[in-house]
Amino acid sequence: MAKTTRRMTMTGAAALAAGLIRPAMAQDGAVKIGVIYPLSGNSATAGNYSKMALEVGADVVNNGNADLAKLIPLAKGGGLPGLKNAKIQLVFADNQGTPAAGQNQALRLITEEKVAALIGAYQSGVTLTASAIAERHGIPFVNGESVAANLTERGFKWFFRVTPVALDFARAYSDFLKVQKAAGRKTDNIALVHENTEYGNSVGSVIVDQFKKDGFAVGTKIAYSANSSDVQPQVLQLKEKNPDVLIFISYTSDAILYTKTMKELNWKPGIMIADNAGFNDPAFVKSLGSQVEGLINRSAFSAGKAGSVPDLFNKIYTKKTGGDELDDVSVRGLQAFMVLADALNRAGSTEPAKIQAALKATDLPASQMVAGYDGVKFDDKGQNVKAASVVTQMRGGKYVTIAPKERATAEVILPYKGW
Amino acid sequence: MSLTLVQVIVSGLLLGAVYALFSSGLTLIWGMMNVVNFAHGEFVMLGMYSAVMVWTALGLGPFAAAPIAAMAIATLGVASYFLLVRHIMRGPMLAQILGTFGLALFLRYAAFWYFGANFKTLPDTLVGGSFSLLGIRFEGARVLAGVMGLAITLLLHVVLTRTAIGSRMLAVSEDATAAQLMGIRPQRMQALAWAMAGASTGIAGALIANFFYTSPTVGETLAIIAFVTVSFGGFGSVLGALVAGLIIGVVESLSAFYIGPVYKDVVVYVLFVLVLWFRPQGLMGKT
Amino acid sequence: MKRWLLWGVLGALVLAYPLLTEGSAVWQRLGALVLLAAIGASAWNIVGGYAGQVSVGHAVFFGFGAYSAVVVYTHLQWPPIAGAPIGMILSMLVAAAIGVPTLRLAGHYFSMATIAVGELVRVLSSTSDFLGGAQGLGGPAMPRSVFDLSFISAAPFYYIFLAVLTLLLGLTWWIERSRMGFYLRAIKDSERAARSLGVSAGQYKLYAYMLSGAFASLAGSLYLCMFGFVDPESGFGILISVKIVVMAALGGAGQLFGPLVGALILVPLEELSNSLLGGQGAGLTFVVYGAIIVIIARFLPSGLLSLLERRKVTRAD
Repeated sequence: MAKTTRRMTMTGAAALAAGLIRPAMAQDGAVKIGVIYPLSGNSATAGNYSKMALEVGADVVNNGNADLAKLIPLAKGGGLPGLKNAKIQLVFADNQGTPAAGQNQALRLITEEKVAALIGAYQSGVTLTASAIAERHGIPFVNGESVAANLTERGFKWFFRVTPVALDFARAYSDFLKVQKAAGRKTDNIALVHENTEYGNSVGSVIVDQFKKDGFAVGTKIAYSANSSDVQPQVLQLKEKNPDVLIFISYTSDAILYTKTMKELNWKPGIMIADNAGFNDPAFVKSLGSQVEGLINRSAFSAGKAGSVPDLFNKIYTKKTGGDELDDVSVRGLQAFMVLADALNRAGSTEPAKIQAALKATDLPASQMVAGYDGVKFDDKGQNVKAASVVTQMRGGKYVTIAPKERATAEVILPYKGW
Repeated sequence: MSLTLVQVIVSGLLLGAVYALFSSGLTLIWGMMNVVNFAHGEFVMLGMYSAVMVWTALGLGPFAAAPIAAMAIATLGVASYFLLVRHIMRGPMLAQILGTFGLALFLRYAAFWYFGANFKTLPDTLVGGSFSLLGIRFEGARVLAGVMGLAITLLLHVVLTRTAIGSRMLAVSEDATAAQLMGIRPQRMQALAWAMAGASTGIAGALIANFFYTSPTVGETLAIIAFVTVSFGGFGSVLGALVAGLIIGVVESLSAFYIGPVYKDVVVYVLFVLVLWFRPQGLMGKT
Repeated sequence: MKRWLLWGVLGALVLAYPLLTEGSAVWQRLGALVLLAAIGASAWNIVGGYAGQVSVGHAVFFGFGAYSAVVVYTHLQWPPIAGAPIGMILSMLVAAAIGVPTLRLAGHYFSMATIAVGELVRVLSSTSDFLGGAQGLGGPAMPRSVFDLSFISAAPFYYIFLAVLTLLLGLTWWIERSRMGFYLRAIKDSERAARSLGVSAGQYKLYAYMLSGAFASLAGSLYLCMFGFVDPESGFGILISVKIVVMAALGGAGQLFGPLVGALILVPLEELSNSLLGGQGAGLTFVVYGAIIVIIARFLPSGLLSLLERRKVTRAD
């Protein structure tokens, strides 16, 4: 009877109960972390790169890296010193890009795999449903890359978001354009082209609002359906309007088509900005990087100087992927993992409440960041207040950091050159 | 007419010819044996990967890739016919959806497993880059695909309507039992239809790969267009698919340019439902 | 006698399932997921199976149901389940609006028209601010009362879904035996013959379509209550339409328990293959899933339930 009552109890109490009866650790003494990513479907590329990045992170914590050990405490090898040298075991699950699969897998990882915490889930919609399950079971959920504003507005106690949000991106672009305007470049006529799913819409509208505040007017706003079969009419429209600044918010498939079509129709703006995503996909950079020379982008990844944390991680990662470097998506996943590893270490326990408390107390300095953040510190809503983006530019098939000044490795070169 | 408008229409026509190109195989099968191949998009996708492989392994362009893709996808078509389609045709129409949808998932993710999730692109120099003519921009790869689209649909049309083998195939499609009494072997004709459909689909894929991206899920994007094109034109009518393809291409281009790209699909779907309202058998389909 | 015993044992098992799987939240939830899928596919069965009108656009109704539930929460702060009846009524109206022009179409043309309408609605929904646009809408993040149906266990969902499915199957059973069922079967066999016998085919097809739409909508509302989120792709996506059809076809369309059997096979297959293979990231989940569907279609084109019929026939021989 007692059993039945508990089964029927509502979220809060049951979550507490579930938390108290959890086993401390897996049998071999490893801490299990559940990782939910889109490993199939349209976003599978991103999911699979993030998976490799997390494997790199776990490898560094478990087996150590001599160079990194000088810079970050958890890279000495031998697992988590604060947790009886427990090694970390990652348990991956595929969310198939659907909110339903994401939630089903979250439940499985929590109840069957008995993971200590969850990381995921890339798409905001999937993160929303998956983290709701974690909240009900009282398991920490660390998110590395979903930018929808509402995720941290739900009053959740177990949700922690390491990534910057759309507003941060918008400010980065706006700051960049202010500098260009001051330098005498034309920025009056701005066009925004965005794909019409959650990502493009939310980032697009935040950019429009922020630009308005900062005195930039977005004169042309073109929404298109993702995975389109043809983008010529959009490019022709742009050609006719001929904006000074063009901003793309696109996934890989459309990024490829826009790049090819702009070359076909022989049109380019003075300044071209891409909000990450498709234009940052390693496959895109490899095959079409030479066609978008001078493209401005934002990224959480900046390789920085030789021997820095990002640089060292990048070397390990590049070896694992066979040539693909860390990029915005993979580095944000990796950073989320490092934040969780740090919290587990300080918690000294796999008890959810202790991990939660440790996450709340997180205060990592910029010097330990693999992503280009100013550090990690969560506010009451679970948002990392020190998240930031760097502005990059495509040079000879590679992105280099051009802003902010303290991270920049190169000066900006304009106008946009293209192919 | 402004130059931009001409450019929009030209782009739309070329796009439409490409739609016709990758839809012709679907309409052939549909007309021949009243079977909808839900794996058609995956056939196109595998044709595209053939071109990618020909380029990465041999460094050759579409003129080598198209025949190789044609053979590969024709083989796949015949194999699908003998191993699957022949058997599901005995069941209700729903069995086709079941079987070919299963095949679609299987092929899509077999490609995913083998080639990986990454997007592949071919260099635009394979088909001579792009050029200007009378102020209108053209891209070699699109022109090639468009011209081949016209050529292949017309060729299929001629084969079906003007040759002995074509009339035998049509005889089977109209009444397999009667055809058998006349000494035609229905299974052989149907297998031939799958081979022809596969070959044209393979060529389509190999040509599209030159200006599009190739990924395991690209078939999804193309399949819905093919379904609409084929039913718009009328099942089984290759010429209908061509006309429908051109109309859809131009309507998409114009509506994307004037109304907005998000609404281009809306315009096409509304037009499609309207056409079926007035002509339930499609533009050129038989009643 | 033996038959009654068999049914009795089966019924008891179904009722006791959540208790038997008490120890495993995943298996418990799987039971609820099977029932939810079975509701959607059984709803489709009325028009797709019995009347033979193969709609590949039932996501329209599923989506209307899911959105109705979340919209009453977002805009009126009602519990999502209160949106279910609204969704059902709306879906019947929508079904009438779609059905009048499209149900005249024969065979594949009808299927293709429903695909087009489905895609049309999906694109339009992503441009509507009222529906949350492309971002979609979330249900109550924190349960406010028991009516928000926010349970940590899947058992309450299981019993709610079971009740709805029982009601739906009962209704279908009744239709099957009624004059309407007779008409629908006649239309499926030959619409022309049915018309010549004085059956007003158009009218009955429309009734079946509206009823089917209403229950598909209910499935959508229940989905929203369980998962708490819907966006254009997870509400109106073509994959939902296709999955509904595949489930019914796999079990046996036009048979009372066909969709349930299909759901019993496909849902666990999908969940288990994803749980076992999905984490590798090689896409093997769907290779296995697709191959199994192909094999079933190849050997049992009329669905799994045709196995039983085949046995009956052999016994009669």
